[in-house]
Amino acid sequence: MVNLTIDGKAVTAEEGTYILQVARANSIDIPTLCYHQALEPFGACRLCTVEITSRGRKRLVTSCNYPVEEGLEVSTDSEAVIKGRRMILELLLARCPNVPLIQELAKSYGIEKPRFKLEDDNCILCGLCARICEERMGVSAISFSGRGLERKIDTPFHVNSEICQGCGACAFVCPTGAIKLEDITAKEPRPILSEFNVGLNPRSAIYVPFPQAVPKVPVIDREVCIHFLTGNCRICENFCQAGAINYDQEDEIIEAEVDAIILASGFDLYDPSAVEEYGYGKVKNVITAMQYERMISASGPTEGHLERPSDGKTPKKLAFIQCVGSRDTHHKLYCSSVCCMHATKEAILANEHYPDLKAFIFYTDMRAVGKKFQEYIARAEQEYNVTYIRSRPSKITENPDNGNPIVWYEETTARTRTSMEVDMVVLCQALIPSGSTKDISDMLHLSLNDYQFVDIPDRLFHPVDTEIPGIFACGFCQAPQDIPDSVVQASAAAARAAEFLSKED
Amino acid sequence: MQDNKEVKTEFKPKILAFCCNWCAYAGADLAGVSRFQMPTDVRVIRVMCSGRVPPELIIRALANGLDGVMILGCHPGECHYSEGNYLTRRRAHVLKRLLSYIGIEPDRFQLGWVSAAEGAKFAAVVKETTDKITALGPNRWVDKK
Amino acid sequence: MAVPRIGVFICHCGTNIGGIVDVPQVVEYAKSLPYVAHAEANMYTCSEEGISSIKHAIKEYDLNRVVVASCTPRTHQPLFRNACADAGLNPYLFEFVNIREHCSWIHMQNRREATEKAKELVKMGVAKARWLDAQEEFESDVYPAAMVIGGGVAGMSAALNLANQGFEVHLVEKEPELGGRLLKLNRIFTINKDPRELVESIVKAVAGHSKIRLHMPAVVKAASGYIGNFDISVDEGGKEVSFKVGVIIVATGAQVLKPELYRYGELANVLTQLDLEQRLKDDKLGEFQNVVMINCVGARIPERPYCSRVCCMTAIKNAALMKEINPEAKVYVLYRDLMTYGVEFEEYYREAKGAGVRFIRYTPSNPPQVIGTEKVESVRVYDELMGMELELPCDLLVLATPLISNNDSEELSKMLKVPIGDGGFFLEAHIKLRPVEFAMDGIYVAGSCRWPADIRESIAQGYAAASEAAIPLRQGLVKVEAITATVDPKICKGCGTCALVCPFDAIELKESEIRGLEGKIVSEVNTALCKGCGLCAAACPNGAVQQRGFTDMQLLSMVNALSGKR
Repeated sequence: MVNLTIDGKAVTAEEGTYILQVARANSIDIPTLCYHQALEPFGACRLCTVEITSRGRKRLVTSCNYPVEEGLEVSTDSEAVIKGRRMILELLLARCPNVPLIQELAKSYGIEKPRFKLEDDNCILCGLCARICEERMGVSAISFSGRGLERKIDTPFHVNSEICQGCGACAFVCPTGAIKLEDITAKEPRPILSEFNVGLNPRSAIYVPFPQAVPKVPVIDREVCIHFLTGNCRICENFCQAGAINYDQEDEIIEAEVDAIILASGFDLYDPSAVEEYGYGKVKNVITAMQYERMISASGPTEGHLERPSDGKTPKKLAFIQCVGSRDTHHKLYCSSVCCMHATKEAILANEHYPDLKAFIFYTDMRAVGKKFQEYIARAEQEYNVTYIRSRPSKITENPDNGNPIVWYEETTARTRTSMEVDMVVLCQALIPSGSTKDISDMLHLSLNDYQFVDIPDRLFHPVDTEIPGIFACGFCQAPQDIPDSVVQASAAAARAAEFLSKED
Repeated sequence: MQDNKEVKTEFKPKILAFCCNWCAYAGADLAGVSRFQMPTDVRVIRVMCSGRVPPELIIRALANGLDGVMILGCHPGECHYSEGNYLTRRRAHVLKRLLSYIGIEPDRFQLGWVSAAEGAKFAAVVKETTDKITALGPNRWVDKK
Repeated sequence: MAVPRIGVFICHCGTNIGGIVDVPQVVEYAKSLPYVAHAEANMYTCSEEGISSIKHAIKEYDLNRVVVASCTPRTHQPLFRNACADAGLNPYLFEFVNIREHCSWIHMQNRREATEKAKELVKMGVAKARWLDAQEEFESDVYPAAMVIGGGVAGMSAALNLANQGFEVHLVEKEPELGGRLLKLNRIFTINKDPRELVESIVKAVAGHSKIRLHMPAVVKAASGYIGNFDISVDEGGKEVSFKVGVIIVATGAQVLKPELYRYGELANVLTQLDLEQRLKDDKLGEFQNVVMINCVGARIPERPYCSRVCCMTAIKNAALMKEINPEAKVYVLYRDLMTYGVEFEEYYREAKGAGVRFIRYTPSNPPQVIGTEKVESVRVYDELMGMELELPCDLLVLATPLISNNDSEELSKMLKVPIGDGGFFLEAHIKLRPVEFAMDGIYVAGSCRWPADIRESIAQGYAAASEAAIPLRQGLVKVEAITATVDPKICKGCGTCALVCPFDAIELKESEIRGLEGKIVSEVNTALCKGCGLCAAACPNGAVQQRGFTDMQLLSMVNALSGKR
């Protein structure tokens, strides 16, 4: 161990560590631009300059690559340090006057306008991109080229790189946003989209599936993780303080002997692009109810703001289309049971967020059979500016001028065909039994009905009993139902299982 | 002049937030887990229900010189105890009028709803309230007395 | 009370806290706070090492209060409380300070201010800790028996399930026969069978079960007590019977509305769907050629806004049956929205259409008109979808009317202290997540007395209620966290405000029996019913009611600590 002082504070550090690491571990802040925990120190930006007193001599060094020594005295905020940093930042600001990060840093050191001639560059030549590509990805698709004033980051021969793996690490570490993956790679950049947010935003390869996941631990998506694809990277390992990253973890088979089984495998969403006339995937501002739910959620990708896909504008006029794929002879014959109410809730939420927003709900029958549901619909109409239109739109097209979807439908009361141009359309698509319902049912030798729901032979008097004694099913995997009904069935299945187990005794 | 400038740049308000255990406190926890960064001026006191906070205590806090007090509870209709937050809402209404009567800016007291899933909202409420109280300036009520 | 000796334990949580907050500085600060006898930093206070350090310090420094400043009480409070208990300290003498979620993680860019904030949070925690008291948790045994009120399909399913799980059940039915509303029906939808033969097997199982004690015909006359411990008295054919149970399931069903619309009761050929079923059952319907059915009669109107959920299917069932009895007949169903949710209902609806039942949509602003003087001759209706007025010949008009709450619901609600909501139906603890529980512990609800439900839904709810009721029965013991309310009878003026705001009816005004206060009307908390929300404590005008763990003094001392007052 080495003893030294930083800003007058006595600290100890392991031999071979650098001043910057020791300072940060002791809650002493030193600004950096070219430093990255997963890369070898580089000393390029010189922002981490500190003043050291070693054997009675004072001098300025870059703290990121200066190893600690016994008896070293470090000052991170001496006059000389501040003066040095100011000069560095002034030069950086002159080079990159339009980069917010540099503006902010300069401002915090009292520099608003540099004395030097302004350039218009975004790159500060910190080299993070090239270093991460070489050191961690093992690719070296980009590197510095040119000398002196000509020095820049580039691909060989200025052409989009064939060896680039398109991982995007370079753009990710770039502190100024100067690196754009599409300028580098010859491949089509393919973001990894968040499943939980229904593709509305990207996620990383190691991620917590959703904010309140249980257990709340990250998982590695092996299909896209660079380490699992190439053996390189392993950056997450550097960042995890607890040392919890384990690349060798394998799926475990756990054997348990049980006497009863409860199946509660839930639902999936029916693919709305199958209902071609509604243009999902073609008309940009047609989204699904689940995407809408993520958007309007305060913890979602847009933090609760409605932003339509084509231009990010907040819609003022919103249409909800019911029975998309439900109650439809070409798709699913059954009623999905929950869409009337979630559309109503979503329309109310929209109006709560944006009081001048107007929502229309195109419905077939308004199925509001639960407790307080009718009252809820009345409130939507009276207090939240929601209009219910009994009609099944025939198609949705796009206004090429502004990207607005146009809903074509029959005005039932006037009995005329008409259309309505709105800013965004939300499709309330059918819900279907989850894919795993089929897998598990096959495994357990349970029959499914025509719609792939788990078959309940005596639905009337034994509503959660499957055909096999001791196996019970509850929730959407056996029939469409809302939350309270699912909770009731869940408890019912537990009761039936308890009864079954008591009999065994 | 010098003084004035100092107040403007240096004033860091002291704000107290009573958070109910089931929604707002959990929302604050989620904000932390999500690493949502926010102003440092708010201190949280956990209570089981927003309805546990008597108005006297809020007046006491403001009379003591705290610059702002928040009560954050479950959204209306989602109270863990069925109706505690309705009680809070009704009290808040009266309390605001009482504060203005005794000469404390009513905006120093804020009532808000944050669910256990709304980490981002908690951060937003903290930011918003801090901005609001900072704009109001230091609570001078004690000096006036 | 001994002089407080507070121990403060500040967690680095690796670098989660320690990387931002200057923990050693906070420890030094904590040492300077009043009544703090010891303060230390731990790398991970929740680790085995941290826990044993707490236990060790309690002994070493003779601590009688412990404050841990680390993460959130929502996950770690039980752990630290147990550590205190293990070291012989009452677990309620522990206070939690959150400097991770509420400090280091949300102020990563501002270490200095984060450290200052952590100090203040610790100061507040220490201030509260000084006023903590030892508390005992309320515990009570659960009497291993259940009462089910109502012998319909919901109640019978619940009773049978509990009995099969081995618990003793008292089933109370007011009619002389088990089976409930189901017995009045003619046929049951989808399987087209007489309900009696179907119910028979359940009735037999119930009546013959050694664990089920049937009280029939009988009504509940009195109920008192709390979860685990209810005293019940029923009037069984004029004889009073008393027994004890640990849990109660309410499954009293509903009744069908008799309307004052469409000249029901005035013209002989106007029936409700239930009347129609009765006539079919008794084989007294006679000839018919033109049947018109109207849905939503007395439902989804301003004075009764709700949808009764089951009537659409009843209408479709009977419409199909009329077509089956007389294929030549013309059968019309006039509806507003058809509530054929799910898979089978929708299928059944399509089949009925295929069988020739005509469905006509009307709106409430333009309701059907009954034409005829002696009897209904025809019904005039504006068909919304065709956009024209139709006059339908009619020799039988059948009205689908909603289920309404039973007349005795209110009385039962008062007796059991469980709430009634919209439309006179019982109000569950949470409309989405706790559909078969009351907010009052130990009492559960199932079937149409909660909300109109069909057979399968009623049975599922019966099972569900049994499932919830079996939890305390199996555990055999109920425990309540000691954050419940207390009343100081010396200070209490008996104004009753606390009782008024209590959502759980846990406070009652009573004559005091305490020596020196005999006869004084004071509030009394039933700890078994109290859920520890503290509403009463906030409402008490003179501080007589306090919430344990959140007393006025504890909260005030935190406020004062933050504002720099003693």
